[in-house]
Amino acid sequence: MRIFLIKAFFIFFLSAIIIRLFYWQVIKAEYLQSQAEKQYFRDVEIEAVRGSILFSDGSVLASSNPSFDLYGLPKEIDPDQKIKVSYTLAKILLEKPEDIDALAGELVNKLEQDLYWVPLKKKISIDQKKEIEKLNIEGIGFNQASSRFYPEGSSSAHLLGFVNSDGKGNFGLEGAYDGELRGIAGTVRSEKDAMGLPIMIGNFFTNEARDGKDLVLNIDRTAQFIVENSLKKGMEKFGAKSGSVIVMDPKTGGILALVAYPAYDQLKYFDYPKEFYRDPVVADQYEPGSTFKVLVMSAALNEDAVSPDTKCDACSGPVSLGGFVIRTWNNKYQPGITMKEVIIHSDNTGMVFMAKKLGLDKFYSYIQSFGFGGPADIDLQDESSPEIRPKVEWREIDMATASFGQGIAVTPIQMVRAVSAIANGGNLMEPHIVAKIKDENGRVFEIKPKVIRKVIKDTTAAEVKEMMVAAVEEGEAKYLKLAGFKIAGKTGTAQIPVAGHYDKDKTIASFVGFAPADNPKFVMLVRYDEPSSSIFGAETAAPTFFEIARQLLLYYKIAPTE
Amino acid sequence: MTIIKKFETVEPNKGFGKKYITVAGAFLFILMLAQVWASNNVITYGEKLERLSVLSRSLNLENQLLEQEIAKNESLVNIASQSAKLGFSEPESIQYIR
Repeated sequence: MRIFLIKAFFIFFLSAIIIRLFYWQVIKAEYLQSQAEKQYFRDVEIEAVRGSILFSDGSVLASSNPSFDLYGLPKEIDPDQKIKVSYTLAKILLEKPEDIDALAGELVNKLEQDLYWVPLKKKISIDQKKEIEKLNIEGIGFNQASSRFYPEGSSSAHLLGFVNSDGKGNFGLEGAYDGELRGIAGTVRSEKDAMGLPIMIGNFFTNEARDGKDLVLNIDRTAQFIVENSLKKGMEKFGAKSGSVIVMDPKTGGILALVAYPAYDQLKYFDYPKEFYRDPVVADQYEPGSTFKVLVMSAALNEDAVSPDTKCDACSGPVSLGGFVIRTWNNKYQPGITMKEVIIHSDNTGMVFMAKKLGLDKFYSYIQSFGFGGPADIDLQDESSPEIRPKVEWREIDMATASFGQGIAVTPIQMVRAVSAIANGGNLMEPHIVAKIKDENGRVFEIKPKVIRKVIKDTTAAEVKEMMVAAVEEGEAKYLKLAGFKIAGKTGTAQIPVAGHYDKDKTIASFVGFAPADNPKFVMLVRYDEPSSSIFGAETAAPTFFEIARQLLLYYKIAPTE
Repeated sequence: MTIIKKFETVEPNKGFGKKYITVAGAFLFILMLAQVWASNNVITYGEKLERLSVLSRSLNLENQLLEQEIAKNESLVNIASQSAKLGFSEPESIQYIR
């Protein structure tokens, strides 16, 4: 019996050992292997550098800048010193000395936590890092990071968008091309010795990092600078709530300049309301007003519904339609006005006459053909496209008001793209900010110009062009025209709808045009929201347009032809 | 009288094989020593590699900072500001010569 008990005792403990061994060597094998690998393998992440965004001439618009994340080791800092350390760091980290108490308080709270490691401040500059390092503060360290750098300042904020603290691009080009710009991090896995140094004859596994691709834009650095300065001056001079300018190459659809104010600082995007992030050029909808007339005129001429010399027999006074009365902007009427003069004098009654000649079916079809009611497909994030009501819902008054650009909503990019079709002989182009994408190996992917469709005939485009030239030379903006240059353009003053009616004191003042008219180098739309100095496009948007045009013609070395 | 020669068997030349085995053995031994010596030398190169990696990272960082400095200095914002300080201004009239 005793022998049996002893045997059972040994068998029991032998089984227990076997089971335990099975547990550690089979069930927990992978876990133990990974723990062992952590001890003798070292993994180093190779950060991928975010791609740069370059102007058309290769100069930098946005690039990655090495920066540092500051961290603290609370348990290594003497509790009595934490407040002093926080104030010392705050003095170095702050730009404005008046905020020092707030930041120092924040740092003290972090350092007083019962943790081994706390992040203190992200993305500090190398100069700040060197200043802190000189102080040799115990329990403070740095991790290398990267942040975005904008050598031209933050006035291209809407064009670029921003990169958040997780390295993700939002809005603008940073958002639209985040996948291409971001890159893929790599790793180096090597066997390490007791000191943590790599063992050369040990195992070495490398997964190379792939840096983000660079974007080369169609944006011209000088054109962008000219537009930014002129628009900024115009905003101050005319007291507008907001403003935007877009300049496009009509032959390729390449965007040469794109600016909107108010802008924001991409590095401090979190200090601004979210409404600021959206680019009004692609995301804001507005009623285009009289600038839309050139498109309706193109449609009517293309369909031979009218000719430039057709006389309006219903333009001797206000037009009554469906219980509404349509007047001219200055309440002056010219009986027998020709279609050309309708554009020169921006006559609403003449437009109503023309729209009736065209008919709703064709009118609606040309609105769609010019690209309204759908996105322009520009390569920027957050483009919106206002819907055009279905044709069956249109009443006669709707077509009448739409003929002079009221009661219909468009975005600035849609408007400038449509007018480009007049400038280039009738082709609707797909607009593009980016011209090329370059990878780290030097391979280049070109984004070629794309013709979406032919909207109007060459002859129609030529006729409308002459009308627009006449509008500049003889219309409301004639005092602003540039001597010796043939410029095509049209003013627009659209009332803003507020709670079901139009506010007569608030307008969107705009001017759209292209130059030189015979071989256009650029098409431009200038838009001011609620200018306070004057409600009219001829007195606000037009001067800005001609100021920018003057500088662009000089920059492109285009001599006067007249 | 018949003389019978004593037939002696020819013994194989054992010295010849032994020599080659000894040489091969010595050669292998020298190779082993060489491998040990090379490994011992290379095994400490980890520290050198680490120093070179740190130097490489530091130089890359310096390059990036210099590129940033160049981009800042050649930006139009900076050029416009510097040229204004130097007294440059916008042209008042342009002459076109044909």
